[in-house]
Amino acid sequence: MRLRPFILLAQTALAFALFMMAVLHSGRPDRERAFPTGALRIGVDASYPPFAVDDDGALRGLEIDLAAAIAREIGLPAQFRNIGFYSLYDALISGEVDALVASLPIDATRTDDARYTSAYFNNGLVLASAGDSSALAVENLGGKRIAVEYASSADSLLHAWLADGIALQRMPYELPGYALDALRLGQADSALTDNLTYRLYQRERSGWLSTSQFITHDPYAIAVRRDNHDAWQLIEAALERLRAGGALARLIALWA
Amino acid sequence: MPTSLFYPKAAALSYRLSRKNLKRPAGLLAIITLAGLGWLARDWAGAAPVAEQPLALAQQFVQTQKPLVCVHTLLENEVETAKILRSLAMTRELGAATIVQFFPWAYVEWREGEYDWARTDSIVRLARLQGLRVIARLGLAPDWARPAGATLTNLPNAAFAGFAEYAAAFATRYAKDIQRIIVWNEPNLSAEWGFQPVEPARYARLLAASYPRIKQANPAAVVLAGALVPTLEKPGSRVGLNELDFLTALYELGAGAHYDALAAHTYGFRDAPETPPQPRRLNFRRVELLRQIMVDNGDSHKPIIITESGWNDHARWLHAVHPSQRAAYTLRAFQYAEAHWDWLEALCIWALRYPVDLRGYPDGYTLINAEFLPKPVYFELQAYARGWAVNETLWLPPPVET
Repeated sequence: MRLRPFILLAQTALAFALFMMAVLHSGRPDRERAFPTGALRIGVDASYPPFAVDDDGALRGLEIDLAAAIAREIGLPAQFRNIGFYSLYDALISGEVDALVASLPIDATRTDDARYTSAYFNNGLVLASAGDSSALAVENLGGKRIAVEYASSADSLLHAWLADGIALQRMPYELPGYALDALRLGQADSALTDNLTYRLYQRERSGWLSTSQFITHDPYAIAVRRDNHDAWQLIEAALERLRAGGALARLIALWA
Repeated sequence: MPTSLFYPKAAALSYRLSRKNLKRPAGLLAIITLAGLGWLARDWAGAAPVAEQPLALAQQFVQTQKPLVCVHTLLENEVETAKILRSLAMTRELGAATIVQFFPWAYVEWREGEYDWARTDSIVRLARLQGLRVIARLGLAPDWARPAGATLTNLPNAAFAGFAEYAAAFATRYAKDIQRIIVWNEPNLSAEWGFQPVEPARYARLLAASYPRIKQANPAAVVLAGALVPTLEKPGSRVGLNELDFLTALYELGAGAHYDALAAHTYGFRDAPETPPQPRRLNFRRVELLRQIMVDNGDSHKPIIITESGWNDHARWLHAVHPSQRAAYTLRAFQYAEAHWDWLEALCIWALRYPVDLRGYPDGYTLINAEFLPKPVYFELQAYARGWAVNETLWLPPPVET
């Protein structure tokens, strides 16, 4: 049996398929196709300061500013819809909004319907220490006093470290602010909190010098409908420009 | 000894697949095609599933000082047996003597008249080996028993007898292990009733159909009605009907004759566990209002089992409390129940663990995360249940400048 004609045919078909894939994916994203209403409609949850709050009918916060900046980058007006946290994805899937900017953690169970951009904020746990020295390393926590919000996810991690044999001294407080107070007042060697709590605490005490390092990662990202590839490309590109130009960092510093 | 001596046909095939022949593309193509066809044929023929070998495990016993402590497990959606075992072992180590576990009808009799007990057997066996008492929650209609396109919680009247048969078969099969059976779940909530209008009369009929069949199958079984969900919905609501009106209606319909104990859910939301109940408020002690309805209807001899309870500490939920409050309230809830509710048989925390973290407020109810990392509330509840020294103060006082 002579196979050469079949091999040639298969090679030609493969080349054509690859060419078509390249053509389909190399096109520039179409703004009109991505946002057919002529606006970037953004779903937010204005109940989570400092990311988004409803201030007597006016939406304010880091995510409001960020979404507005992305809309400007794309060249469209921003239209906000304040939606309860647990209805956000329904609004996205049903087409009521084009994107969700709502402190959304990346949720693998949602990826049939939604596609996430790169993260714009990391709200993972940080290990904070006072002064300008580098933060304590986990492996050196033995014998150290670690302040933590009682029963929080940070406290769960301390329990796990204790179970792993790290002989740290756990100092539980009712509220995360108390744990940071203990660090600031020199009654603890370090404090373990989420990044947002740490940043807000430090922001209110500008004279207090401290450092932190991430122990876990909890990235917040923008969600776009999975089938709206153009929207994802345009938003991701805008976010990247804001990041590269330093605007994203300035926004975070302004609010958190 | 060469294999070819015993399997001449294999030897011949081996020869045909020799390196010499494999050099030819046509031969290679034929081999790949044959292998592919063989694989497909295997699937078409319905390859026999590989039976899971039971793990050899020693009998364990729960060490507890607080028999009220119970957790709701979610093992029915767990894929790996090792995770089921680990969940149950951590329940035992917690000092919880009892679990509530869901055994969906739809998972067992997914083909009419054929029961597939393999998964259920495994869960019941592993729970027994951990020394745990199981309260079985039955529900979810199989595809063949409900209208086309309806949700799993939709149980038409015509399927009541089928559900009762499943309940009876379940009661018979596990008569040695399971003595508490809940008929359906949250029938006063439309979402749990197939998104149909909530009708106490229909649930009363389901109880009437199920109760005699379960008792016939296992006379020692305790049939639980409910489990009623706390809600403020008024009659005519599309969402549901508050559990107080629902239970009152059940008594008016004579359903009291068709249950031995009441299953109820009670959540604390943002109230402390000691906050007194009110008909228009949702809190932990709201279950006392249900109790009063039972007493008023001559059922004071019947116990209540709280099959779901707890506080939530998710940062993004309006009804949540701080993690510290959640832990403290949970302990105080058990202390309150122990001191005041002699009619309570068990207080079950929702929930031990989800198979995956849901990245939303439901995660704020669990005692263990999906990676089996216990939350501090787990340790506090463990210290309480097992009679270990419980910290009188759970946390340090706020730091002050010295």
